[in-house]
Amino acid sequence: MRRLAPYAVAIAGAVAVTAAIGLVSTRFQVPGLSAFYLLLVLWLGATWGRGPAVAGSIAAFLLYDFYFVPPVGTFTVRGPSEFFELIVLLAVALVTGQLAGSLRRTQSAAEALAADERAMYELATAALRSPEVTAALSLLSERAVRLNGVSRFALVAMDFGTTAPLAGGEVSADELRQAKWAYENRRAIGVAVSDGAVKLVRTHPEAAEPAYLPLASGVAVMKIDAGHPDPSDLRMLGALVGLADLLLDRRRAVLEAERARGFEASDRLKAAILSSLSHELKSPIASLRAGLTALTAPQAGLQPEQQELLRDLDGQASRLDRLVGDMLALSRLEAGLELEREPIRFADLVGTALHQLRPDLKDRDVTLEIDDDLPPVEVDELQVGRVLTNLIENANEWAPAGGRIAVGASASEDRLTAWVENDGPAIAPNDLDRVFETFWTRRARGSGLGLAIAKRVVEAHGGTIRAENRRRGPRFTFTLPLARVAASR
Amino acid sequence: LSGRVLVVDDEVEMQRALRTGLRYHDFEVRAVGTGEDAVREAAAWRPDVILLDLGLPGMDGFATLRALRPTTRAGVIVVSVMPGEKDKVRALDAGADDYVVKPFGTDELVARIRAVLRRQADVSAGEPVIRTGDLDIDLARRSVSVGGRVVKLTPTEYELLRYLALHAGKPVTHTTLLRQVWGEYAVGDKYNTRYVVAQIRKKLGDDPANPRYIVNEPGVGYRLTAPDALG
Repeated sequence: MRRLAPYAVAIAGAVAVTAAIGLVSTRFQVPGLSAFYLLLVLWLGATWGRGPAVAGSIAAFLLYDFYFVPPVGTFTVRGPSEFFELIVLLAVALVTGQLAGSLRRTQSAAEALAADERAMYELATAALRSPEVTAALSLLSERAVRLNGVSRFALVAMDFGTTAPLAGGEVSADELRQAKWAYENRRAIGVAVSDGAVKLVRTHPEAAEPAYLPLASGVAVMKIDAGHPDPSDLRMLGALVGLADLLLDRRRAVLEAERARGFEASDRLKAAILSSLSHELKSPIASLRAGLTALTAPQAGLQPEQQELLRDLDGQASRLDRLVGDMLALSRLEAGLELEREPIRFADLVGTALHQLRPDLKDRDVTLEIDDDLPPVEVDELQVGRVLTNLIENANEWAPAGGRIAVGASASEDRLTAWVENDGPAIAPNDLDRVFETFWTRRARGSGLGLAIAKRVVEAHGGTIRAENRRRGPRFTFTLPLARVAASR
Repeated sequence: LSGRVLVVDDEVEMQRALRTGLRYHDFEVRAVGTGEDAVREAAAWRPDVILLDLGLPGMDGFATLRALRPTTRAGVIVVSVMPGEKDKVRALDAGADDYVVKPFGTDELVARIRAVLRRQADVSAGEPVIRTGDLDIDLARRSVSVGGRVVKLTPTEYELLRYLALHAGKPVTHTTLLRQVWGEYAVGDKYNTRYVVAQIRKKLGDDPANPRYIVNEPGVGYRLTAPDALG
C-alpha cells in the first residue's frame, strides 16, 4: 500500500492541476498554462523520485490533451507540438526524478554513515574506558547482533594454546574446533573481509553453520543471514570486527605481561630457595673439610696412619660435596632458570675444563681436534663448562691406564658438533640411552648425575647429546648453537 | 711467608677449624662472626689478609667489603658457599683480591693467602719487569718476549696483558679489563676481551685449550699465572 501512495498522489495532483488550469482558463486567456504541470512533475520527482514523476507526467499529458487540446473531449493528438509537450513533460519527470533520487540516496548514505560512526565511537569509548576487556567485547557482540541480518556474533580467545569462548554466548565444542582450525591456518570460513566490510562467501547460502573469521588473537564466530543484509550493515560489521581484533590483542598483551611477572616472581623464588638450600647443605661440609685438612698438616703432629685416615675422611667429604653440588645443579636445571648465553670460543671452554681437571689428568694423553677458526658458540659458559668437565671426567674414569682422551669439534651451518672420546670398554648397546638417566650409573660409586646434567644443559641450549661406541671406544657427541652474529673485529 | 689473618665467618666450627689450620702454617689468626666486628678488628689489629665470608648475618659480606676497603690495606679473600659467579665478579669489582669457594682444603687456602701476601710485597717493590715462566713483560720498554723472542702486540693487546701482569696471580674480571683497556663504553661486551685474549695467546704460542700464561676464570674473567706457579 505504501509504495502505491506516491502514484495516487501523482494522479490526484495531475487532476488537481488540470482543474486549476480549467478554472483559470475560463476566466482569463493565459497562454502556456500547461507549465503548471511542470511544477507538479518537478515536485513529484523531487519528493518521490522517478516513478511517481513519470506517472504524474503521463496523467498530466492525457488530462491536458483531453480537456484543453482541440478537439476537446478526445485523446486524439494532432500536431507535433502536442507530442513535443508530452516529451518535455516526460523528460522533466525523468531528469528531476533521477536528480532527486540520487540526492536522497547520498543523504541517506551520509546519515547511515554518521549513525555508524556514532555507534562505533560510543563502543570504542566504552571499550577503552572499561578496564575489563571482556566486558567491552560483550558490548561489542551485543551491538553486532543488533545489525540487520546478523543473528550471532561470538568471540573465541586463542592464547597460550587454549581456546575459550570469550563473549557473545555459548560456542559448542565442534565450533571451537572449527575456530581453532581457522585460527591456526589463518583461513576464514564462510566470510571474507574486503574494503572494511564483511562479505559472505558461502557456496551454500542456506547452510546453517556459522562463519569463522580469524583475528590476531582470537576468532569471530558469526551467523549472517543468507538474504544479504544491507551494505551499510556489513560495513558496520566489518568495523566491529576490526575493533574486536584490537580489543582481543589488548587482552592478550595484558595476559602476557601478567604471565611474565608471574614467571619472574617464581624464578626468583626458586633461585632463592635453591641458594638457601645450597648454603644449608654445603656449610657443614665446608667445616668438615676445613677441620679435617687442618689436622693433616705436619705441625699437627699426628701419626702417618692417623693422617691417612683423615685424608680418607676428607676424600669422603669431597665426594659428598660433589654429590650435593650435582643435585643442586640438577634442581637448578629442572627449575628451568634462565641461561646466561654469550658468544664464546669452544676452545676456551675446553681449556677451562682441562685446567680445572689438571690434577686428575696428570698422566693422561689428552688430544684435541679443534680447528683454530671455529666460529664462536652462543652458550652459558658455566653450564657448558660443566658439560665438558662431566664428559671429560667420565672419559677419564673409563680410559685404561695410559689410555687416551680425545676432545674434538666441527662446525656446520648453524651448530657446533663436539665430542669427547676415550679408548675404554664399549658401553652395552642397551645402555647407550640409559647412561643419561638420572641416578643411572655403571660405577659402584658414581653419583649417576654427571651425564644427566650434561644432557639437560645441552637440551636447554636446544642441542642434542648421544652416546655411541666407536672403533676405538665410547664417544659422547653433543651439539651447541653457534653465535648468531659472526663476531670478528 | 706469614702474617696476620682475620677470619670473618659466622659458623663457630669454621672459625675453629681455620684458626687451627692456619696456625699450623705459622699465621697469626683472629676470628670474628659479624661484619661490624670485622671492621672494628681490621682497624684495631691491622691484619695482612682478611678472609671474608659473603653470607654473613646482618651486615652482609658486600657491605662489609665496602666498609673495609677505604680504611684497610689488607688483602681481602672473599669466601662463598655459592657456586654462582655473579657474587665473585661483584666482590672482585668491589675491591676483593681473590675468592675461594667453600668447601676448600687448608692447603688450597694457604696457597691463596700466600699469593695475596706475595702480591702485596711485589707492589711495594715496583718491579719494572714482570716475569712468569719464560714470559717477560718489560713495563718500562713496553716490550713482551717469550723465551727471549720478542712478541709484537697491538696497543690493545699490550694494554690488556700489562693490566693482567700488574695483577699477576689475581683474577681480573671482564668488566675491569674492558674498563681499563677500552673505557667505560665497552663494559658489557665480553667478546672483546675473549677475542683479544685469543689473539695474545696465539702470539705468545699459548694453547687456548691448555693455556700456560693466561688462565680462564670461568664466569669471571682471566688470571695471569703467578710467577711461582710455573715450574
